[in-house]
Amino acid sequence: MALLYAWRAARVTPLGELYTPPRMTGVLLRLTVQVVLVASLWRGLYAQSGTTAGMDRGQAVTYAVLAVLASRLRELDQYAGRDSVMQHMHFGTIVYWYLRPLPPQRYHALRAVGEQLYGLAWASAGYVVCLAAGVVDPPGSAAVAAVSALSLLLGQLVLYYVMLLIDQFCFWTLRNSAAMLILVFAQNLLSGVYAPLWFFPHWFITLSSFLPFQATLSVPLSLYVGRIPLSDAGLQLGVQAGWVVALYLLTRFVWRRAARRVISQGG
Amino acid sequence: MNAVRIAWRITRLNFRAQLEYRTEFLMMIAIGAVWQVSVIVFATVLLTRFTGMGGWDSSDVLLIPATRMLAHGLFVLLLGRVHGVGRYIQEGRIDAYLLRPLPVYRQVQLEYFPTNAIGDLTVAVGLMAGALGRSHLDWTTGRVSYLIAAVLGGMLLEAALFTVVACASLRYPAADYWSRWLEELLGTFGSYPLNVLPRAVGGLLTYGLPLAFVAYLPAAVLTGHGHETVVPYWLAAASPLVGLLAYLASRWLWRWALGHYTGVNG
Repeated sequence: MALLYAWRAARVTPLGELYTPPRMTGVLLRLTVQVVLVASLWRGLYAQSGTTAGMDRGQAVTYAVLAVLASRLRELDQYAGRDSVMQHMHFGTIVYWYLRPLPPQRYHALRAVGEQLYGLAWASAGYVVCLAAGVVDPPGSAAVAAVSALSLLLGQLVLYYVMLLIDQFCFWTLRNSAAMLILVFAQNLLSGVYAPLWFFPHWFITLSSFLPFQATLSVPLSLYVGRIPLSDAGLQLGVQAGWVVALYLLTRFVWRRAARRVISQGG
Repeated sequence: MNAVRIAWRITRLNFRAQLEYRTEFLMMIAIGAVWQVSVIVFATVLLTRFTGMGGWDSSDVLLIPATRMLAHGLFVLLLGRVHGVGRYIQEGRIDAYLLRPLPVYRQVQLEYFPTNAIGDLTVAVGLMAGALGRSHLDWTTGRVSYLIAAVLGGMLLEAALFTVVACASLRYPAADYWSRWLEELLGTFGSYPLNVLPRAVGGLLTYGLPLAFVAYLPAAVLTGHGHETVVPYWLAAASPLVGLLAYLASRWLWRWALGHYTGVNG
């Protein structure tokens, strides 16, 4: 029975997507165009230069295209379904999360699992098409594939906890869309979504290494393209696992504190 | 004149409403700046690592993001609320707008004051000042006038693109999703020479989705690269006019789409 409830909670956002054809068409069109444009851009940039920042053309194109595909893993529009924590706090409907027989933290996690699995289906399909079309390079070896897949899994866990922290921030502020946008921007910049971190100045890379953001995307993609050698994979996976544990403990603590903050606007 | 007075009064009230939450107000300014900084970061990384992008001098390249950002900042300030049309439709607010004695498009624009535009414009003006300072061009009256026209044309073209998406939202409210993608595309691919891309892709971003007309083509004309683009020189030079015509066409489309709007409840 618990499994049935979990399934029902997890499929909410993906079902919302499936029932909205323009959104699905938009995702398909967006992914296709974005992959073509990003691949063209990096190929064009490398047309007159060799290896830059330790990355050759193939690595840079593969990294950039995989970053586009990975961005699909958590990009569902909860806002349209009025089910973001920010909206619940604003409209006061967050109280319902505390009235259900399902703890709010579990509901939040189940929703995220459903979204990430749905996003994974899109990303995997895109990856297979890109691999078949020769847009991205295959992993260097079976070991590289396994290690980067494990790193991606850990990266998604880190990403979940980072996004959860951003959501939990809503419990302490009533108007916080700007703060959330700034945090999302920081996440995108410091995880290497805008451009691979290897292209940034040294001080920027050093700063990023002390933050959890690079563990979400930069590490798994760098392992995949071979920018981080397999010999360093153990350390990187250890750091990712460390962030998962630290963020899990932090968010668990914040959930307990957040429960005391729940108010419904208007009494 | 009466319409301008009403618009001004509503804008003043909207501004005061934004001041209600002071921290949020300041952070909204910050997010406008931060969003623009992300574009600068991307452009700077590319310019530093790949010098001579597309055969352009880096000071010439800088003119592209500066023009685009200034156009974008003005768009956010003056016409940016068209972004939210999809949400207003979903929430049924458009139906209320239809009952009031003020054009719906104007009511949409007067929905709230865009605080983030202050941050957008601050960074954009700073970048434009930097780009002009580093430029080796002779900034004659003609060039300055053309640059101003290009910024205004870019603003109108961006408004036209988002108005078209808003028209689609009147029929399919979920089409609003496309506007976020469009904004991302404009930010990512509108800030450097498109001749770095394959000709077909450059053509797509010129004739399919005309973002080349926002900043790339006007900057090409200003910096003497006007003959190297995928369009005839006269068309590149007429970019500001393309923006104006596109905006007028999008407003005509808006009126038509609004006339066929049936509401989400039928």
